[in-house]
Amino acid sequence: MKPVWRIAWKELVQVFRDRKLVFSTLILPVLLMPVFMFGPHLFLSRLLEGTSAKVQEVAVAGLPQEALEALLEANLAPKPVADPERAVREGEYPAGVVHEEGRYRVFGRLAGGVSESQVAVSKAQAALQGLKEKKVAEALAAKGISLDLLHPFQVETVDASPPREKAGGLLGFLLPFFLVVFILSGGQVVAVDATSGEKEKGTLEALLAAPVPLLHLALGKTLATVTMALLSGVAGLLGLALGEVLSTRLGGELLSKGGQVLSLGGQIQLDGGGFLALFLTAFLLALFMGAVMVALGLYARSFKEAQSYMAPLQLLALFPLLFLQFRGFFELQPWHHLIPLFNTALLMDALLKGQAEGLQVALTWGSTLVYGALALLLAVRVFAREDVVFRN
Amino acid sequence: MISLCYNIPVVLTEGLSKRYGPQVAVEGLSLQVGAGEVYALLGPNGAGKTTALRMLATLVRPTAGRAEVAGFDVRKEPLEVRRRLGLVNGGMRVYDRLTGREVLAFFASFYGLEGQAFREALDWVVALLSMEETLDKRVMEMSTGMRQKVVIARAILHRPPVLFLDEATAGLDVFARRALLDFVKGYRDLGNAILYSTHVMSEAEELADRVGFLHQGRLIYEGSKEEALAMGEGSLERAFIRKVRGAA
Repeated sequence: MKPVWRIAWKELVQVFRDRKLVFSTLILPVLLMPVFMFGPHLFLSRLLEGTSAKVQEVAVAGLPQEALEALLEANLAPKPVADPERAVREGEYPAGVVHEEGRYRVFGRLAGGVSESQVAVSKAQAALQGLKEKKVAEALAAKGISLDLLHPFQVETVDASPPREKAGGLLGFLLPFFLVVFILSGGQVVAVDATSGEKEKGTLEALLAAPVPLLHLALGKTLATVTMALLSGVAGLLGLALGEVLSTRLGGELLSKGGQVLSLGGQIQLDGGGFLALFLTAFLLALFMGAVMVALGLYARSFKEAQSYMAPLQLLALFPLLFLQFRGFFELQPWHHLIPLFNTALLMDALLKGQAEGLQVALTWGSTLVYGALALLLAVRVFAREDVVFRN
Repeated sequence: MISLCYNIPVVLTEGLSKRYGPQVAVEGLSLQVGAGEVYALLGPNGAGKTTALRMLATLVRPTAGRAEVAGFDVRKEPLEVRRRLGLVNGGMRVYDRLTGREVLAFFASFYGLEGQAFREALDWVVALLSMEETLDKRVMEMSTGMRQKVVIARAILHRPPVLFLDEATAGLDVFARRALLDFVKGYRDLGNAILYSTHVMSEAEELADRVGFLHQGRLIYEGSKEEALAMGEGSLERAFIRKVRGAA
């Protein structure tokens, strides 16, 4: 097995001596993850806060005095215009309100995400809702009827999830998602360099002429890919953790006084065994994907072609993870734990929530190991194909 | 380190062929190369020289015929064959972010050369190729000639009794080319068998003991260099052209 370690060492040294590559693969994720997590949220919160505090002009037509006063109280400045809908459509006003035949119609430009128009519309809606409730209360009071008639009972929703599941929150989805993303992007760097990169640079033939069995060759390259994939996964998770720490520690202070504390909505509560199981799951996932990437990379004629194969692979790998969001809608069957990638995502989610069962663990690890072995055999077969190895 | 008896055919092929679908790359190649001999396989680009050498180096599987290198069948015992040969071709490169020493240590380990054995092999190859300056430099910082020395050193570090060189002087400057040709002669004189594939006839005139003309995948002539020169009135190029025209 010595050649396997030697080949893996060579691949990793080649990559680690490329400073730009190390920076973009291992350091940048640590720095960027907090920015991605924290930056947009903070920016948006500040923006919304500023917009809410600002007085917006609102195009109005046919509004009674009480409605105009309600709008004024809601930090809006009503401006009478002939056609508020047109005025909003043409961007003259962020919102408009029309009163006709006992109905209030609020206009806004609502397509395209959060905007000043959306904020103005929300303020107008809230003002008119308040006015409506006030008038209902006055009418009931005039007839001597209690306001409680409108609220015969209260409805309260209580989250009855077990504490660990509650703590897991969104992390059950986010952790596998980011792990797959980083495992693929980190592994890809080595897999491409070690296969089509070697072909393109003219170094592969010398290696093939050495007395090394093809299985050792494929194993060595896969091992290097797995190592880099795991390092990249760790870097991504470190960035995630750093973002979470920054969000929790600084979020409340950076936002407005009443602002919410930013959080991913979960925290990891794992014991040693849980961490080990999570790591082993990530390792098997990396092994499987690493072998697939090595086989694909070698199949490609050039570095560029290999990279073009990796992009669809990433999409393909992320696709099953999207279904993880809907796992609450169906009852998991044993065969679900045999679906490549989906099974590892399910297991990571279950491990984080303390719900992993023996059968699930056995099926997921066993099947992923089998998929990894099959992918490795595929890589060996690709190495044995002279039409593939010598084409460039 | 493997030593072989002088004058025993170290490379032997019988009817060796390679087809890619309907396309013939090499057809019925039969030749022998003995220890202490440089056999120049001559032919233009696309004649089948590279495919022939790749079959002998076990990188490409023959579709017909048989071949032995250092007494081992290329189909049945590819690893044994690879342990006993060195391969250098013109397009071959080594890892640009490793130093010369690291490249050599990497390849030496596949031949069981580690620790003291590696140091001894390194001393030998460094002296043979005068390449002290390359050892601690990264390959990316080396000149073309220095890189070629590392490529050759990688191929002979385990002192193989058989060396295949395929257009090995391609892209080399005059000094690097001269160093390579001198090395080939020296390595031959150590009793090793060398199969030297090239389209540059002047190199064969200088190096070869025997020559073979390969044209469209077929060996159309084989003989001593002196016989071939006589046929071409002192020029291998002329001899080759006459043979090709005769075969057409």
